[in-house]
Amino acid sequence: MTRRTFLLSTPALAAACARDRRPRLNVFNWSNYVAPGTIPGFEREFGVRVRYAVYESNEEMLAKLLAGNSGWDVVFPTNSMIRPMLENGLLAELNHAGLPNLRHLDSEFRAPGWDPNLTWCVPYMWGATGILYNRSLAPPPRGWADLWNAGLRGRITMLDDQAEVLGACLKKLGWSLNATDPSQIEQAKREALTLKPLLRAYLNAEVRDQVVAGDVLAAQLWATTALQAMAASPSLDFVYPDEGFPLYADNAVILRESQRGELAHAFLNYLLRPEVAAEVVRATHTATANASARALLPDPVRSHPVLFPPPDVLSRGEWFQSMPVAAQRLRDRVWTEIKAA
Amino acid sequence: MSRWLKLYAVLIFTFLHLPLLALAVFSFNSSRFTLWEGFSLAWYKALFSDPQLSEAALNSLLVAVAATSLAVSAGTLCAYGLWKRRSGLVEGGLYLSLATPEIVMGISLLAFYQGLFRFLDVRLGMHTVILAHVTFSIAYVVFVVMARLRTLDPALEEAAMDLGATELEAFWRVTVPSLTPGVAAAALLVFTLSFDDYVITSLVAGVDSETLPMVIYAMARRGTNPVVNAVSTLVVVLLGAFILAAERLRRA
Amino acid sequence: MTRLRTLFLAPASTLLVVLVLCPTIVVCLYSLLTRGAYGGLGPPWTAESYLRLFDPLYLKLLARSLWLAVVSTGLCLLLGFPLALFISRAGRRKQVFLLLVILPFWTSLLVRIYAWMFLLRDTGLINTLLMSLGLTSEPLPLLYNDGAVILGLVYGHLPFTVLPIYAALERLDRSVIEASADLGARPLSTLWRVILPMSMPGIQAGGLLVFIPCLGAYLIPDLMGGGKSIMIGNLIQNQFTTARDWPFGAAVSLLLMALVLPLALLMLRGKPGRLA
Repeated sequence: MTRRTFLLSTPALAAACARDRRPRLNVFNWSNYVAPGTIPGFEREFGVRVRYAVYESNEEMLAKLLAGNSGWDVVFPTNSMIRPMLENGLLAELNHAGLPNLRHLDSEFRAPGWDPNLTWCVPYMWGATGILYNRSLAPPPRGWADLWNAGLRGRITMLDDQAEVLGACLKKLGWSLNATDPSQIEQAKREALTLKPLLRAYLNAEVRDQVVAGDVLAAQLWATTALQAMAASPSLDFVYPDEGFPLYADNAVILRESQRGELAHAFLNYLLRPEVAAEVVRATHTATANASARALLPDPVRSHPVLFPPPDVLSRGEWFQSMPVAAQRLRDRVWTEIKAA
Repeated sequence: MSRWLKLYAVLIFTFLHLPLLALAVFSFNSSRFTLWEGFSLAWYKALFSDPQLSEAALNSLLVAVAATSLAVSAGTLCAYGLWKRRSGLVEGGLYLSLATPEIVMGISLLAFYQGLFRFLDVRLGMHTVILAHVTFSIAYVVFVVMARLRTLDPALEEAAMDLGATELEAFWRVTVPSLTPGVAAAALLVFTLSFDDYVITSLVAGVDSETLPMVIYAMARRGTNPVVNAVSTLVVVLLGAFILAAERLRRA
Repeated sequence: MTRLRTLFLAPASTLLVVLVLCPTIVVCLYSLLTRGAYGGLGPPWTAESYLRLFDPLYLKLLARSLWLAVVSTGLCLLLGFPLALFISRAGRRKQVFLLLVILPFWTSLLVRIYAWMFLLRDTGLINTLLMSLGLTSEPLPLLYNDGAVILGLVYGHLPFTVLPIYAALERLDRSVIEASADLGARPLSTLWRVILPMSMPGIQAGGLLVFIPCLGAYLIPDLMGGGKSIMIGNLIQNQFTTARDWPFGAAVSLLLMALVLPLALLMLRGKPGRLA
């Protein structure tokens, strides 16, 4: 690239840079969490362009946001992340006048524990974590304890998520997911360390292809990702562990740094439309917090035992909660130790 | 012994080139699995119609061009200055930037930028990426150009000045033309380094500045995706051509 | 004369000060602060991060990184020397062979790692071939372990040994080798007792050129180790992203620099400015 060539090509580059003039919205979401038509539909109707990027874990998302200058407008944190984000001054207050579709939300999510007045977030999708496994496993796993099986060496994975891994270990030991007692957390750590040599890797949604291919026989996985895998392969099944399992909800929030509040509200309102939410459920196999959307779904989907588990199964579930500072610090440190071992 | 050496060389060259060749071959595979099922350009078509990939490729190109221009200008000037008289401090700084592991350079730049953001209302974006790329590549420019400078006779410049030229004129008209192959080689080198960088870029990139290696990495993490094969093959061919050109120029 | 020279040095020097020196200072400062509740930084100033480095867990990680780097370097030297020897004897086609060595190296590292993953994963080419030939019934776990990481490190850095050793071999005094042959030594003996010792500087340079990047490697252990075979580089990245413990990450970075810089100085002591 001689100097002359560069100078001659500058106008061409400048022309290429003069991209879209439409208003922009930057949305950061979990992977596979919208239907193929969701974003284009919004872009068409509102005449905007959406930059849509995905992440695989809460930590990954939070790390990008903490500096406060990330450039994103709308993000989808899990409920346990709402308070930390609030305390770090990351969230913008929601204006309910711009969100008339809130009325479509399921009653359970109209005043959730993590945000009773929905001042900061709009529940989007909810789910649970369990074990996705290959039917060839005999006997089939029924609880977390079944993963600690030397016969499965190299063929199991756990989520690359601190709360999930510690949660599973705590449940196996018979305690609450949200334990703050240091001795309980330390014991959970020891359990995780005994399991680690048997693991293939700590993987999130990436493991889906490997389970479908049969490389991985059992994976700690979110119900929604598991359902996506089950749709691709008939030899898979999913179980909600006997000892108990985590429940979580991902919520749409608007970041305080965003300068496109109005457009962001329009986007959130759009996502709350029953037909939009229903389409997302059909495409992503996720449970929606939108009651009107659920009513729109065909019967087999609406009462799918994995997607919308029956009350007796749900009663074993426990919602993730955000941790007090000292406990969070301890858990973060324990997680580093587990990963570094 | 030379027979064994030849055999060994064949084995090692196979080892070095097989993975890339396999990748290239399978980028034309019509099936997404590793069983050959027929020749197909499907993945290349998918590649060119993927907006995320095209945007990332454009970003990579822009960053590489900008970083190359900046690094080559600053680096050539620096090499010339060092040729006239060495400076332990500057050379030490250059060596430091070379010896620093990529991950450390990446996080230190990230930490620096985050620190800056408390005072200036700036975001991570193309500019932060470009500056980072210039930082890690400038030492290469300096050393390549210096190597070229060492083959030049300083007497030529002195002669020019004796004949009435100013220092600047002597530099511009006498030294620079002979430096051109070295500078061009350095430019191609920086372009290659910049285009391919993942570690540092992933840390300092912003919302709008996703580059091609970042997309490739995300796709590689997510599992088997034959489009990555196609993209990789293209990248290898492109960068390979650049490096060949750089080598030609360097020996010119 | 000096004014022009200062002017010429200015852009690069400014760059170095602003983008190399300042970030390093910032990292030093960060290593002495405390982690905020969910990340971020704040007072008090403390050396706690450094003390954490002495935890046996991290010392083991450091030892493991050193071990992987040493093994990879050794393999690179072992594999690189004969190749360099071959090229130095290749006559007219030396340049071609050198280019064949350099070419894959300068094309994208990420792509080359991915190429190996493509070959080694359970559904990858090697396993598919082995299974279709009936040699194995189940896919071999070729990826996501220390062996894969070493393979990746060797593959990624082999040219770093070939080039310096080749340069050293080229500078050997042919007459000494001929003399050795004249005195009745067999080729292997000449190799072991004459050529090898005389090319030591090249071997040393090559060794350091491989060891330093291997120690600070990040991408290769990340992708080929599956996040289980982590080295120092991964720990640093992890602390600055998902673990959000910047002070500790900064301390580990400084530790890595403290290991790498003396080695780099050692390498440069031998050949000032001879890098291109």
